[in-house]
Amino acid sequence: MNDLQARLSRCFSAVFPGLNAQQIAAASVQTVEKWDSIAMVTLLSVIEEEFGVQFDPEDIETLASFQKIFDYVGARRKVVND
Amino acid sequence: MKLLEALGALEESLSSQSPLLTVRLACGFSPLHLRTFLNAHLRQEFPAHRIQVGIGLYDDLAGNLERLESASSDAVVCVIEWQDLDPRLGIRRVGGWAPKQLTDITRGVRSTAARLADSLERIAQSNTVALALPTLPIPPVAFTPGWQAGSFESDLRQAVAELSTRLAGRAGVRIVSVQRLDRVSPPAARFDVRSELTAGFPYRLSHADALAALLARAIRNPSPKKALITDLDDTLWKGILGEVGVESIAWDLDQHAQKHGLYQQFLASISEAGILIAAASKNDPDLVDEAFRAAKPILPRDRIFPMEINWGAKSESVARILRAWNVGPDSVVFVDDSALDLAEVKAAHPEVECLLFPRDDDQAAYQLLEDLRDLFGKQALSQEDEIRLESIRASHAAAQAVGSPHMTPERFLAEAEGKLTLRFGNDPGDARALELINKTNQFNLNGKRHSDASWKRYLGESRVFLAVASYEDKFGPLGKIAVMAGRRDGSKISLDHWVMSCRAFSRRIEHGCLLHLLQKFGAEEAAFDFVPTPRNGPLQEFFAGLLGAAPERSFCLRKEQFGEKCPPVYLEIQEASNE
Repeated sequence: MNDLQARLSRCFSAVFPGLNAQQIAAASVQTVEKWDSIAMVTLLSVIEEEFGVQFDPEDIETLASFQKIFDYVGARRKVVND
Repeated sequence: MKLLEALGALEESLSSQSPLLTVRLACGFSPLHLRTFLNAHLRQEFPAHRIQVGIGLYDDLAGNLERLESASSDAVVCVIEWQDLDPRLGIRRVGGWAPKQLTDITRGVRSTAARLADSLERIAQSNTVALALPTLPIPPVAFTPGWQAGSFESDLRQAVAELSTRLAGRAGVRIVSVQRLDRVSPPAARFDVRSELTAGFPYRLSHADALAALLARAIRNPSPKKALITDLDDTLWKGILGEVGVESIAWDLDQHAQKHGLYQQFLASISEAGILIAAASKNDPDLVDEAFRAAKPILPRDRIFPMEINWGAKSESVARILRAWNVGPDSVVFVDDSALDLAEVKAAHPEVECLLFPRDDDQAAYQLLEDLRDLFGKQALSQEDEIRLESIRASHAAAQAVGSPHMTPERFLAEAEGKLTLRFGNDPGDARALELINKTNQFNLNGKRHSDASWKRYLGESRVFLAVASYEDKFGPLGKIAVMAGRRDGSKISLDHWVMSCRAFSRRIEHGCLLHLLQKFGAEEAAFDFVPTPRNGPLQEFFAGLLGAAPERSFCLRKEQFGEKCPPVYLEIQEASNE
């Protein structure tokens, strides 16, 4: 597990404390019952604070799984680092 | 605290046996992360409690507060923002910012502020209320430029200031300090426009964290320290008295010694507010006497007791001062410019808070005053605060009299002309009674504490009685020094609380209190909800004197049993009327 994945997993774990590592990796709006609009706001706020990135409001609806958020944050960090 | 840490703190669970603290958060915006941070900070402030933070409806602060008037909780946290006072002062509505509307907005703010104040006053009758007044900027409504305070903005701020003034004096209401919030959360870094527009949550995380921390602190309202021991040379004044002489010590601007003058002014102020001040200095006692007589410091000699001036270790002076005061070391702050002396005192008295007086740093000296204010600040002043120093002196004089060769302890008590006055009545507004319950350690039946709300609830229970005892003798008054609270059940009384100030020890006041209670209620026995604590040794000794050995848990004492063991009580005992 790379650094981004580990830190992102910690964010998911804080917002969805019942999930194990495998469930987090496969987490999505469909698979996690508690992933409602409030949980989404909390999750994105935690990630923004943790990684220093900012989500574009128009992109939020597309960020419906761990993998999609992982890709999004990875791309944003790359842009920032470049 | 980061949001990730706050969420983590929420996952730490306590036993279901732990006491529950229920807090209601009332705000007009979506509480989201403020609720999370508040919950996390409350857990830090109340580590032994399970915390439950309830919320109300979105965009209805006034309604939320009005619903809370009849709800049961330990505390209410209310956060008011401009948009709660008039929706046009928010950015989620576009109700118009035209110049002709400004008067109507001001009127709306005043009207809503009055409605909220009425509701908060009603809530404060049975709850502790922590209140934050608008923390976010007023939006660009007025036609004047932003760098200018026009009449519209001034009117709005005046309306909030009036709301603050009205509520600040109310028992049970604690308002977050604007000045403190400005320091820990810079105003320009508070408003999160994107979050407000997308989620209805207007705070940046750092601001939510800072505000929640202050609100949680306001709910806990930590007990203030009781006493301060100060060094003299290069602390109370600039200069080493033994080297420069009385004429050259200083505490004024001309001698570049103003920080010492401010420190003295501060000590004089807290002394008037009932904080005990003593001095511990390696010095010549005659020279120190002369310094106070001739140089007349801002902190007068008679506000300092005891004065430990000698060439011995500071820790020994501190030990003698603690004995003279008879207060626990955890209630005491020691201030000295010498890091070595601070370390020596800390090693001998680890519970004493030791603070460095930064003699070469004006900014740090000013910060020291701010820190001391936090340590000693209290909600209100009481009559006991005014007489505390004199009663300590009187107790010390009495102890010295007992120690004289011609005075036995028995004769001393018989000649002390002690008068014990008990006032019965379940008045939750007697702040001194709750203060004694929550601050007393040594003579404390079980160490149980109360919040404002739980105290009110307890006193409202059926058959509960409250007795508050005051004492005076020929050495002077001690004020309200003991509280007994319990239940009356036929020929039995059950004591849930019994505390007595350490200033009142050795006068058989405890015997007098129990004697009167048994007589008043015609009780044949008294049950004590006793719990031994690491610090209630004096109470355990009292019980051991009656029972033959210190009890290990709750017990009953028969009236005859008490009569057989009770030594002569020389007190004149009377009841005060409840007018």
